[in-house]
Amino acid sequence: MVFEFKLPDVGEGLTEAEIVSWLVSEGDTVTEDMPVAEAETDKAVVEIPSPVNGTVREILAEAGEMVPVGNVIITFNVEGEDEPPVEAETETEEAEAEEPVEAEKAASNGESSAKGGRVFAAPSARRLARELGVDITTVVGSGPSGRVTDQDVRTAAEGGDDGAQAAEPEPEVESEPAPETTESTAGGSQAVSMQKVDREKTLAAPATRTLAKELDVDLNAVPEVEKREGQSFVTPEAVREYAEAQTAAKEADVAAIAETSKEDERVPYRGIRRTIGKQMERSKYTAPHVTHHDEIDVTDLVAMRADLKEEAESRGVKLSYMPFVMKAIVAGLKEFPYMNSMLDEEAEEIVLKKDYNIGVAVATDAGLMVPVVKGVDQKGMLQVSQEMNDLVEKARDRSIARSDMQGGTFTITNFGAIGGEYATPIINFPEVAILGLGAIKEKPRVVDGDVVPRHIMTISLSIDHRIIDGAVAAQFANTVKNYLENPALLLLE
Amino acid sequence: MVVGDIATGTDVLVIGAGPGGYVAAIRAGQLDLDVTIVEKDAYGGTCLNYGCIPSKALISATDVAHNAANAEDMGIHADPAVDMQGMVAWKDGVVNQLTGGVEKLMKANGVNLMQGTAEFAGENTVRVAHGGEGQGSESIEFDSCIIATGSRPFQIPGFEFDGEHVLSSRDALALDEIPEKLVVVGAGYIGMELSTVFAKLGTEVTIVEMLDDALPGYEPDVARVVKKKAEELGIEFHFGEAAKEWRKEADGMTVVTENKDGETSEFKADKTLVAVGRQPVSDTLNLEAVGLEPDEKGFLQTDDQCRTDVGHIYAIGDVAGEPMLAHKASKEGHVAAEVIAGEPSTLDYQAIPAAVFTDPEIGTVGMTQDEAKDAGFEPAVGKFPFMASGRALSTGHSDGFVRVVADEESGFILGGQIVGAEASELIAELALAIEMGATIEDLTATIHTHPTLAEAVMEAAANARGEAIHTLNR
Repeated sequence: MVFEFKLPDVGEGLTEAEIVSWLVSEGDTVTEDMPVAEAETDKAVVEIPSPVNGTVREILAEAGEMVPVGNVIITFNVEGEDEPPVEAETETEEAEAEEPVEAEKAASNGESSAKGGRVFAAPSARRLARELGVDITTVVGSGPSGRVTDQDVRTAAEGGDDGAQAAEPEPEVESEPAPETTESTAGGSQAVSMQKVDREKTLAAPATRTLAKELDVDLNAVPEVEKREGQSFVTPEAVREYAEAQTAAKEADVAAIAETSKEDERVPYRGIRRTIGKQMERSKYTAPHVTHHDEIDVTDLVAMRADLKEEAESRGVKLSYMPFVMKAIVAGLKEFPYMNSMLDEEAEEIVLKKDYNIGVAVATDAGLMVPVVKGVDQKGMLQVSQEMNDLVEKARDRSIARSDMQGGTFTITNFGAIGGEYATPIINFPEVAILGLGAIKEKPRVVDGDVVPRHIMTISLSIDHRIIDGAVAAQFANTVKNYLENPALLLLE
Repeated sequence: MVVGDIATGTDVLVIGAGPGGYVAAIRAGQLDLDVTIVEKDAYGGTCLNYGCIPSKALISATDVAHNAANAEDMGIHADPAVDMQGMVAWKDGVVNQLTGGVEKLMKANGVNLMQGTAEFAGENTVRVAHGGEGQGSESIEFDSCIIATGSRPFQIPGFEFDGEHVLSSRDALALDEIPEKLVVVGAGYIGMELSTVFAKLGTEVTIVEMLDDALPGYEPDVARVVKKKAEELGIEFHFGEAAKEWRKEADGMTVVTENKDGETSEFKADKTLVAVGRQPVSDTLNLEAVGLEPDEKGFLQTDDQCRTDVGHIYAIGDVAGEPMLAHKASKEGHVAAEVIAGEPSTLDYQAIPAAVFTDPEIGTVGMTQDEAKDAGFEPAVGKFPFMASGRALSTGHSDGFVRVVADEESGFILGGQIVGAEASELIAELALAIEMGATIEDLTATIHTHPTLAEAVMEAAANARGEAIHTLNR
């Protein structure tokens, strides 16, 4: 019996996922819950377990392919009668089973479905198409006589552009080449239009024949230069010219097919990269960003952390500056609650968050991820430190759970870890602020009239100017600064 | 702009409060836009004040009188007396109730109402001149503007409307006494509707029409039913004759017409109604100020979201092109308002129904048989005569027929033509069928109430499949 396994919904309402790699091959024996593939959703890589015991019959999606949820990705041979295939998800069975018949029927009607500028679909289906950005005239309907249904529109919108393809006439691939020319219309190059001839016999000097061999040119195809004794005669120049024209034609064809330079590499804009991109775009173009820059003298903090580091290590925790910053931020957020808020645009309400969940942006091989340390206000320095270290580690090796990247109320990005004094952080939407940290560097500063070396950390605080005024941003920054310049204050938190 | 004048700002400015403009304003108000509407005359526009509603009111009223007087077959003998002033007063009451309702609805949806004549002063500014001396003017700045200025009746040279001898349709609907003799210039739908009204009130009606038949634009077999009935009512037709001039007489007027050979004829009348069509009102707007230019007929070109060539200016209704129908204007008003509010709205209707309130009525929607052929369909056509309808016979109005045009291959309904009693109502079923992508089978398989005229639609559909029960199949 054949078991068809459809790509399950791997995470909150996702519609598609990329198959990163297959962990099994055709013919392999699998047991239930054994991972068969890795799929990348927009947040993380997940393993897809086998739903049955059996052997792999056929793998239907290639590694690297984007697959809509619900598509069959693999089939298994399982114990039992040799019956029609059973499916992992039965609720769509009926629709699936009808599909080929309806599609065929629809295809035969495809032409008439847009005849006279008409679309046979209810106004509600037409509006749905507009909402989903689907050109309904390209959708082949599965309803009576090829009528386009809501479901057809949805299917087309979910990337199942099968409909669109079926509705369009097949491009003519086999056009009869005109026998007497090698004219290539693909490249449109001026050199390629040259009469091709096909003679039985061609006169040429031996050197010309050698040249023709070298250039891989059929002498009988080269246009004659003159007649000698009633036979066609060609010169080396004619052979060269013909060869060049041939090459140009080939190149034009290749260029037309490839369209892109060989030097460029095209990487699919997908998965985590695309999620980051969309999130950044949305944030940047929704929230008017203003960035407030300042510097903090963290000389005392440096000393304190040096004192505490050993003690922390003896308790198995690597203590960085980050937990201090997080604690200082929580102190600032408590003082300025709007900094710890989000805008509910639909309800036109500002939601003041009562949790202090601090996200820490982490650069990973796959791109930017933001693990969130929850309830920073209720945890001690070491616990915050420990949790943050664990989450960052998981983000780096991409084993982090989606839930560990959700629920943040404020984000820190530490661009200084790589380099740079100031930056313009983009807010982790729908939060309303993000604090970027520069590196802590020793710099000359004037203290009590003397130039002395001090440890200076630069900060860049981006705010959603719809919610936060510049003055509030500056005041918040001052509070954070005060705590970090006088870290003993953190003891009071 | 006047120096020192502070313009009032609005999201959406609607110029004209007819069935396009007021719908657009209300819809925009519903979508939380700040809307200002400017009307120079009366809320409700031509439709409510001088067109659809008053004409249909008078048609209904005259039908009561006419039917009562012509019911001997049913055993009723009556001689109703028509008090024209009373009839017009009743009609005015209907109109006032509706226009008052429109005003209330606009206010309830937060629309700012303004009386005056608007003309553009810049890309985002109009100047509104208030009616009357010393009323002054003011500027309004808008983000988007919807032009809904509608249309006005065409005049023909030598027949300028004077309200006394030469009447527009608007004047004719306001007459407080019944003319004895009326010449109607134009046998289009307005001319035919009003001719029918006056003929039923006892007026001697003569129609002069330049073309060769009545109701151009409708299929000959449809027009024939109406024309035959009109002739039975005593209306006299003179085709191929153009109105040339008129003379005032001691007891009315003489209208001179000319045929294409240059021969003239003369018709005596009390009054002449000129109903030769309508022209868009786009010449009063100072469109140059926004860089818009109407086409040679005066229409503003728009896309399927009612946008003109200037992105933030929209045009709807009669001023945006044929067909000049109130329901088309309303639909466009809806779409324009939604597009301005950022909704994915568009004019994607498959067909616009149309109705003519003659006796009998005409209702059409979608394609005729010929149009279906031209569009590449192989039309399957079904017809059902009201003569075979029990309900039609029982009302004493059995003229006419229902015709359904469908695609032979798929069965999709493509169009329909109905001429007969209540055709204006019945056509809605076919309009719905077209929009829903319904097939002949869908219509045939839907149970229709018996005994009703609507059964004729079902029977016509069945006839297209060769399965009609109550008539011989094609």
